[in-house]
Amino acid sequence: MKKETIKIAGRENDARVESRILEERIQRAVAEGYSQIEVTAYGQHGIGGRLWRSGGGRIKVNILGTSGQRVGSMGFAGTFIEVFGPASDDIGWLNAGAEIIVRGDATNGAGNAMAQGKIYVEGDIGARGMTMTKHNPRFEPPELWVFGKTGDSFAEFMAGGTAVVCGVGAEKENNVLGYRPCVGMVGGKIFFRGKQSSYSQADARLIADLPDEEWKWLKSNLKIFLEAIGKQYLYGELSAKRSDWRMLIALKPYEKKGKQLRPMSAFKLEAWEKELGPGGLIGDLTSEDRSPIGVITTGELRRYVPVWENEKYLPPCQAHCPTGIPVQKRWALIRKGKIEEAVDLALNYTPFAATVCGYLCPNLCMQHCSRQIVNLPAVDIRVLGKASLEAGIPQRAATTGRKVAIIGGGPAGLSVAWQLWLAGHEPVIYESKKQLGGKIAETIPKSRIPDDVFAQEIARLANNIPHIHLDAALTRDKFKKLKNDFDFIVIATGATKPRKIPVEGIERAVTALDFLRQSKLDIAKVGEKVVIIGAGNVGCDAAAEAARLGAKKITLVDVQKPASFGPERRSAEAAGAKFIWPRFTKAIKKTGVELADGEFLPADTVIIAVGDSPDLMFLPENIATKDGYIVADENFRTSDEQVYAIGDSVRPGLLTEAIGAGRVAAAAIDGILKGITETYDQLPQIDVQRVKTQYFDARETGSADVKSCAAQCASCGACRDCGLCEVICPQGAISRRARGDDAYEYVVDDESCIGCGFCAGACPTGVWYMVENKPLE
Amino acid sequence: MESMGNIAPSTLSVKDLPWQILWNKEKCTLCGNCTSVCPVRAIELGVHRKRALQVPIGLEQKATNLFSVYHGIDQRTDAAHACVGCGMCALVCPNSAIIPLRADESDKLRFHVNQGGEPRRRGGRRNAPESVLDKIKFVRISMLTDPALDAGRHEFELRTLLGRILPPEEMLKASSDNGWMPPVREIYPLIIGSMSFGALSPNMWEGLQMGVAYLNEEIGMPVRICTGEGGCPPRLLKSRFLKYVILQIASGYFGWDEIIHSLPQMKEDPCAVEIKYGQGAKPGDGGLLMWYKVNKLIAAIRGVPQGVSLPSPPTHQTKYSIEEAVAKMIQSMSMAWGFRVPVYPKISGTSTALAVLNNLTRNPYAAGLAIDGEDGGTGAAYNVSMDHMGHPIASNLRDAYLNLVKLGKQNEIPLFAGGGIGKNGNLAANAAALIMLGASGVQIGKYVMQAAAGCLGSESDRCNICNIGLCPKGITSQDARLDRRLDPEKVAQRVVDVFLSFDAELKKIVAPLGRSTSLPIGMSDALGINDASAAQRLSIKYVL
Repeated sequence: MKKETIKIAGRENDARVESRILEERIQRAVAEGYSQIEVTAYGQHGIGGRLWRSGGGRIKVNILGTSGQRVGSMGFAGTFIEVFGPASDDIGWLNAGAEIIVRGDATNGAGNAMAQGKIYVEGDIGARGMTMTKHNPRFEPPELWVFGKTGDSFAEFMAGGTAVVCGVGAEKENNVLGYRPCVGMVGGKIFFRGKQSSYSQADARLIADLPDEEWKWLKSNLKIFLEAIGKQYLYGELSAKRSDWRMLIALKPYEKKGKQLRPMSAFKLEAWEKELGPGGLIGDLTSEDRSPIGVITTGELRRYVPVWENEKYLPPCQAHCPTGIPVQKRWALIRKGKIEEAVDLALNYTPFAATVCGYLCPNLCMQHCSRQIVNLPAVDIRVLGKASLEAGIPQRAATTGRKVAIIGGGPAGLSVAWQLWLAGHEPVIYESKKQLGGKIAETIPKSRIPDDVFAQEIARLANNIPHIHLDAALTRDKFKKLKNDFDFIVIATGATKPRKIPVEGIERAVTALDFLRQSKLDIAKVGEKVVIIGAGNVGCDAAAEAARLGAKKITLVDVQKPASFGPERRSAEAAGAKFIWPRFTKAIKKTGVELADGEFLPADTVIIAVGDSPDLMFLPENIATKDGYIVADENFRTSDEQVYAIGDSVRPGLLTEAIGAGRVAAAAIDGILKGITETYDQLPQIDVQRVKTQYFDARETGSADVKSCAAQCASCGACRDCGLCEVICPQGAISRRARGDDAYEYVVDDESCIGCGFCAGACPTGVWYMVENKPLE
Repeated sequence: MESMGNIAPSTLSVKDLPWQILWNKEKCTLCGNCTSVCPVRAIELGVHRKRALQVPIGLEQKATNLFSVYHGIDQRTDAAHACVGCGMCALVCPNSAIIPLRADESDKLRFHVNQGGEPRRRGGRRNAPESVLDKIKFVRISMLTDPALDAGRHEFELRTLLGRILPPEEMLKASSDNGWMPPVREIYPLIIGSMSFGALSPNMWEGLQMGVAYLNEEIGMPVRICTGEGGCPPRLLKSRFLKYVILQIASGYFGWDEIIHSLPQMKEDPCAVEIKYGQGAKPGDGGLLMWYKVNKLIAAIRGVPQGVSLPSPPTHQTKYSIEEAVAKMIQSMSMAWGFRVPVYPKISGTSTALAVLNNLTRNPYAAGLAIDGEDGGTGAAYNVSMDHMGHPIASNLRDAYLNLVKLGKQNEIPLFAGGGIGKNGNLAANAAALIMLGASGVQIGKYVMQAAAGCLGSESDRCNICNIGLCPKGITSQDARLDRRLDPEKVAQRVVDVFLSFDAELKKIVAPLGRSTSLPIGMSDALGINDASAAQRLSIKYVL
């Protein structure tokens, strides 16, 4: 190793030596064994770095003149650089072990990215000093010592090493570390002396009281630094007070929480509500609870609530029964084992529980049975109807002594009489014929209603209602007298005047009414060929009877598609009757019927069955009629307040409609006499979609005994006490509550119910229903 | 449908619906949560009969039927109860047994929602997920050409100006003459646009306001929020928070008498007044707050009786020409606060936007112009208006800006853009694109509902039932049973999250452009798009 100093000039022959050439010369000097190099720099780049050729031996580089950027960059251990004057940017860049002394200020980027070695700066440094520095655990950490202060953005992304900023001469500065130091700092420590108002708190932590160990290190190394820059005389002053010094150290990753913000809950309390008042924005406008709630709520916070609408709606069967018989209630009684009660119930509604329900009615209840919507057979009421023959008579109300004259002892008249009698009034029946029963007795073929059934039901009536006048035809005068004698008069004279059509030879035809009347008395006669004009149900009855009496060829003629249906139609068809339509009768000849289209239907007997109209000869003029029928309101009251009219005298209809009209009129009269009204019948019909038929056997094809019929009834709108709601409720919120006797109800515990609607979804009868909860405000 | 198979023209099956409920019988525990929570009662407990044939092996005995009944969750198929796909059922199901799925083809329900002759109305946005804004890229990355900035390290001044900025000579003159200087606010460029108290639930509205106050006071971000038309709670009017609020006046003038009554007690001026002439979601159409939403609270704030429907007509009733309309209205609103508050109109995106803008350039009191594009959201509108009416924001805004450039006034009248910003989640990118196309700031509504309150609505027509008061998240409901699901404090926190993350993303976009001290308004040389005609139309680079 050569002892002498080699001098390398940065300027030759009045020209600057290129950085590349200077570097070559320095490297060669080291290779040649020089350990003292004096460079008179002229702004060359990177002087003193990379001197590995010394093999670790000590190389001292003195830089005179103007040093360029990155002095000592990539410096090696063993290299000692001393810049006699200020240093340019990035001194000690990527320093890997060199010790560099700057005898003046250093500009920007001092120590940028250095990993080992030391930099001693006698003055201040520029911006971005000690940035991106590293500490490789294989080596001692790098050090940057600054006698004065630093520029802005000091220690950005500092990842290791130690910086010491003595702050000499910067005592009045607010920031010896410049503006925003330590942004992105992840490692290392900074000792500084003097004021510092801000630093990146997201990255670094300030230590105001230096720990003993750190203070010890600082004191001993401060001495070395001051000696290096020739200011050891200041050691006493700079190390006098530990409290002059503070430290910034990088936060550990787990200590980095970002900027600490006030929790929103605190802001709400301390700022928001403090300014606005309790309850915030609208605390003055509402006193309602506004605290947060969950999505599944109970009590008043439910959106929908279940209601147990037991018997709040009519079942379709009852709603469609013109007589208003609570069909479903009867099945329910049977399910409860109260068969007698079920049978007896009918007599509250009709005196013809067996005759009509069991035999003659087209059973509108069955036609509208909910089960049919899903292709299940209707529950067969006829079974129960037939059983009603032996029904017990309902308890009659206390007698009132009020008298009502009933003109006509047919189905309508007997119905109103029965109801008025049950209500405790005194009905008096005036029948023009010698027997009661009207059309049932006179014209409906025996094949459709057994004599004994009808006779028994008539007897039940006659045995109870004392005032029945047979063969009592009426006139206007008599009618006037009745008005004086009775509280009310009910006209139920039916339609007894057969209608005829204005065609040639109409006198040759027999009316269906006459024919059926005679046939019932077994005195009618027919030929082999019968033509019946009018193919409705009465025409069909006539056809069936004609066949019974020996007719071989029966033809029914109608001007439109025949309206006949049910057993009447089926009997006619069974008799081989032929239906032709639309055909118009032109004339009735001796040998048959001539049609408008020229066809001639040979006939021995011609029966005309185009309907009947009321015979209202007795009617006073003040009672309004229209098209031959009496005008009546929905309660069957006529234009005379004292007079009611029901049955076919008002409009042609089914037996059950006539019976129903009797009930309505009786209820109206009873209401007026007693000042009460009935309500159950006025309920609306239940929406059948609420009824669940899926609980029933899809393959059930109907049954003959009342018990199996009762089991098949879906009990639309009336709780069947099956308890499914209690079981399905996910909250167990529904319970059955007994209310004495047989009565019970199902109730909801609002505080457990979540309004899911499972009860309504599962209820076989559609009793449970979800309604919107009451608005909160 | 009835089991008998009776059908009507509008009888639908599950297959015909846009959302189909997939229910798993195995997983379902029949807890009732899903049917409790379904906003439109699209699902219900159903009863099912099940038949199993019991056939003995070898057929030596006769086979028998075994009937049983089970209960399960059924989907209703009538139009009034069609599933809206909100997915609340899936949210509350403890067993993941139920979920609505989008139909695999276009639904048939759309042909039957007009029962009774009433066309479909809904809330949400235009049902079209695509977005031109999403296609715009920032192609000018200045690594070495400009000082490259570091979004994480550098400090940014992401601020914009709301108000009329005088040209230097006029400003100097006004200053030397002690003349009137138009009010200008330095605000954050992302504005929460107008959503009324009424359209939004009280909790949602309060949450947004609280979040905005927090951003201003705790974070130092000058974020502003517009009230929408529906008045403003008196407490807010009389608080210091009013300065964060842009008051809106629209054709219904709701709540303005309450605002006037509060004038003497105001501690602060509002940030600005927005005069609404149009809305991007339903251009040319008005609004109607249905009577059932007008509860005691809404009534008090709007200054109306409870339980009446509140119409905002499509047009202001006393405006007869654009000159007169704009001048008269801006004048009146400026006067209310002694000409200290910027006043600007908001219009829906339209091909007539330039006419409005040119008019404003001649009006010294006009503080700016907000344009709401076709993708804007609404609480209630006719579907036809939402899906087919209006102008896309990008070209509308661009035309407006370039027109200002032509007039040399691009730095004098700020433009604010709204309508579909962030509709696919790309809030900062969409906002930055609009800013570089010329917007001084952007307004968001739907995005903040989605991000801050969990709005379930989508452009695939999910939920979108804001109009019927049944918002399952409580955002647009006036029913306390629903709106109390929303905790204002948590909404406020999410508002803060949204703005902080937006801020970080916006910095990530503008830092590489070398901008840190001013927003890159109109810096369209930074924009590129992979669509030649769009590039040409917007006067930006076509990049492949």
